[in-house]
Amino acid sequence: MNDMASVLDWVLVLLGEVLVSIGVFFDVVAAIGMLRFPNFFVRLHAATIGAIGGAFVPLIGVALIAAGCDFLGPYRWFISGAAAITAILVLMLAPVGSHLLAKAAHESRAAVVEPKVVDFLEEDRVRGETR
Amino acid sequence: MELMSLESEVTMFITIVIPIFLAAFIMYMVRALKGPTIPDIVLAIDCLSYDLAAFLALLSIYFRSPVLIPCAIVLALWIYALDVYVAKYLSKKEMGE
Repeated sequence: MNDMASVLDWVLVLLGEVLVSIGVFFDVVAAIGMLRFPNFFVRLHAATIGAIGGAFVPLIGVALIAAGCDFLGPYRWFISGAAAITAILVLMLAPVGSHLLAKAAHESRAAVVEPKVVDFLEEDRVRGETR
Repeated sequence: MELMSLESEVTMFITIVIPIFLAAFIMYMVRALKGPTIPDIVLAIDCLSYDLAAFLALLSIYFRSPVLIPCAIVLALWIYALDVYVAKYLSKKEMGE
């Protein structure tokens, strides 16, 4: 019985560590992209990698690690649940925030739309068909 | 063969992961400090804070202190509020009430 619980703890911790490793990899990739990409609308791509791959995935991993760490005492369920809630909040809020920022930047012409073939939104705005 | 205990394995893993997170934070900070336009700065701060939330969750296991976890939830919510306010200001030139 005790052995069984210990094996389950090890499985949870190793699964969580794999997820955290994937998340750290995405985090570094997104940071390099953020540094090297040429302008705002291209950097948006790196930003969403950093938010979902670099924050959502390691938070799920932390929830699994904390659920397996019996040295944390009764607080391990608190850490695990709160990390899962943070992960779900990031999953919902990060894409909405990026989209709002991109829409506002396009609308106020704060950033140039550089690698573009056609920009129908801008043409509509010039003709006055958007509000 | 002597197996490593669960506690020391988790501590060692987090000790290896922390410097990689710090390197990513430094790269985001460089972009946030020299970003040419306002949306660039806000986007870099945005990513930095979501990753900081994940980092805080790791630190709360590392230091065995559950008080760090509510900070991560509050951080994720506030940085969304920053996005909404900056987007509103950029497109309408007012903060909204």
